Amino acid sequence: MLDVLDAFNIDLIRAGIRLGTPILLAALAGALCNRAGILNLALEGKMLMGAFLGIYLTYVVGNTYLGIILAILLGGLVGGIFALFYLKYEVNLILLALAFNLLALEITVYFMRTLFGNVGSWTDASIQRLPEINLFNTSSSDGFLNIFNNHNLIVYISWVIVVISYIILFKTPIGRHVRSIGENQEAAETLGINVAKVQVIVLIVAGMLCALAGAFLSVGHMTMFTRNISNGRGWRGVAAAIFGFQHPIGVFLASLFFGTADALSLRIQSVSDYPPSLVKLIPQFSTIFALTIVGLRAKFIVNFAKAKFRRSLNNQNNS
Amino acid sequence: MGNQNRKRLIRQFTIPLLAIICGLLLAAVLLLLADKSPSAAIQSIFRDAFSCSSFNNCNLFTTFSLATPLLLTGLSAVVAFRSGIFSIGQEGQMMLGAITAAYLGYWVSLPDNVHSIVIAIGAIIVGGIYGWFAGWLKIRLGINEIISTIILSEIIINFPFQNFIKIPFFARIENSAKFLVFAPGSKFGTGFVIAVSAVVLVYIYLWKSGKGYEQRMSGEAPRFAFFGGIKSEKAALRGMFISGGLAGLAGAIEVMGVHYRINQGFNLMNLGFDGLSVAILGLVHPIGVFIVGIFLAGIRMGAQLGLQFELGIPRELGGTIIGFMILFVAAEKLFQKLFDINLKELFRKKKNA
Repeated sequence: MLDVLDAFNIDLIRAGIRLGTPILLAALAGALCNRAGILNLALEGKMLMGAFLGIYLTYVVGNTYLGIILAILLGGLVGGIFALFYLKYEVNLILLALAFNLLALEITVYFMRTLFGNVGSWTDASIQRLPEINLFNTSSSDGFLNIFNNHNLIVYISWVIVVISYIILFKTPIGRHVRSIGENQEAAETLGINVAKVQVIVLIVAGMLCALAGAFLSVGHMTMFTRNISNGRGWRGVAAAIFGFQHPIGVFLASLFFGTADALSLRIQSVSDYPPSLVKLIPQFSTIFALTIVGLRAKFIVNFAKAKFRRSLNNQNNS
Repeated sequence: MGNQNRKRLIRQFTIPLLAIICGLLLAAVLLLLADKSPSAAIQSIFRDAFSCSSFNNCNLFTTFSLATPLLLTGLSAVVAFRSGIFSIGQEGQMMLGAITAAYLGYWVSLPDNVHSIVIAIGAIIVGGIYGWFAGWLKIRLGINEIISTIILSEIIINFPFQNFIKIPFFARIENSAKFLVFAPGSKFGTGFVIAVSAVVLVYIYLWKSGKGYEQRMSGEAPRFAFFGGIKSEKAALRGMFISGGLAGLAGAIEVMGVHYRINQGFNLMNLGFDGLSVAILGLVHPIGVFIVGIFLAGIRMGAQLGLQFELGIPRELGGTIIGFMILFVAAEKLFQKLFDINLKELFRKKKNA
């Protein structure tokens, strides 16, 4: 039993941060969309597309940063197309998302194979991985600061985005607009909020975040592209957004939890004989649990209100 | 049939047809980008999917066997959608059914026909419980069914069952549990017959039975159902159980008729999501599912045989075509707008002339 404890150390948290970053970016996108009253299930597909575009554009341009920026812009374009379909042509967003996920899964492999021959995974020697940044100039390997040190730029950017999205959502007028649309779209419309405009912006930002998450996978974390490189991380992002109660800080903690569980499942194989995938599933179980609690709470509140209403009616009749 | 009805019928058939044509057109563009001839490629897809040179070497039969799980998962999605619940848990339900089949097939010994029937019933019940649970979460607790089914499916697909129920991972099921194969060289057998009869049964259930009517009404018009005295929660839960059971059966048939075991790549085949595509392209109707299921299986099959093996085009083109098609079905309004504008312009021209 105690051998499991060997898996817990600073390296685990570092790995958790690394594995949690794409989930965090996707979950932020998901939370933002949910806040604006859009159920965005295309995170997975958008991430996959971002991963392919990130590595391909890096290869074409020859500069990792430029490649990632171009991928983000294209991700924003995809988000814009989603917004166009959803708002102008009233396409069912869920169907659109499912179709897009399937399309992204297949078309990225199709392009990889037509561009670079029939290969299962593709990489090129000219592609450079994002360098790790030595933030605190420490060389000691086991300090507490080491958790936050020596990650690549996207990890730090994702933390900055958490703070920025918190400030925007909760401290600015546009954030209030976004939240009010999520709470009650019709009421927001009546108040004169331009719902369509806000939703367009949100979808574009979500597309950009997902593309960044994908680029993190293909040129930040690894330096290659394979079929289905995102491997369900987008869906885990959807779950993390719910588990973090659509709040940037909550989403950050949830993604860290998801990432650490992933990391633990990878490490636990080497130190004990527990089935690793069971550990990996802890976040999923927790999400179902959290959803159930939230549902029960809502039901309880409704029942309580009903009982109170009935009691007050009885009191009126009696008096 | 009234004029209005005919118009609606025409429109219903036009949209999937237009979607299929647009999907193929976009595929042609992709092929041109890769310097390949689109006409040859698309011809080879259909030739290799639906041709039949002899009884023992018949691509059509293989297409049918590929279509079997698609038909069942498609029907599963249809039944769920018709109770107003957008369940996308078919993949997990299939996995549950397959695990049940592998377990019962390996550990239980029964006479020939009884064995496969017992397995099928077991898989239906296990898959059905999953569907019922997702429906229960939705109806009782108001949890979004899409999210709950995605998470539940991920749990099931990644759950290390082999550690708990001690199935040797590559153990084959016993011969008594295997399905009959009609045509040697393919896996075309009892499974397809079951799938086709399921199409008929689901049609009868949804459109010719009282229970099915209750379920459809509680899905389409919950208020109407409520005031009509239908117990809509019960009807929807029944629908979800049937939906899960159908997908579970699909998984069991994959084990009993095709693989005879659960192997590593079992969950990678994405059959659950393809079933969803079948239901959407088939306009959420059993007969539509029948047509589209065989069609999509043909595209997958033709893409693998015709494109990948003969022309050296990646078989992912098949999936891409399917993705485009769903995209266009989802963009129904776009077509309607284009269509209406065209009709109006036509009428205007006629009036002017």
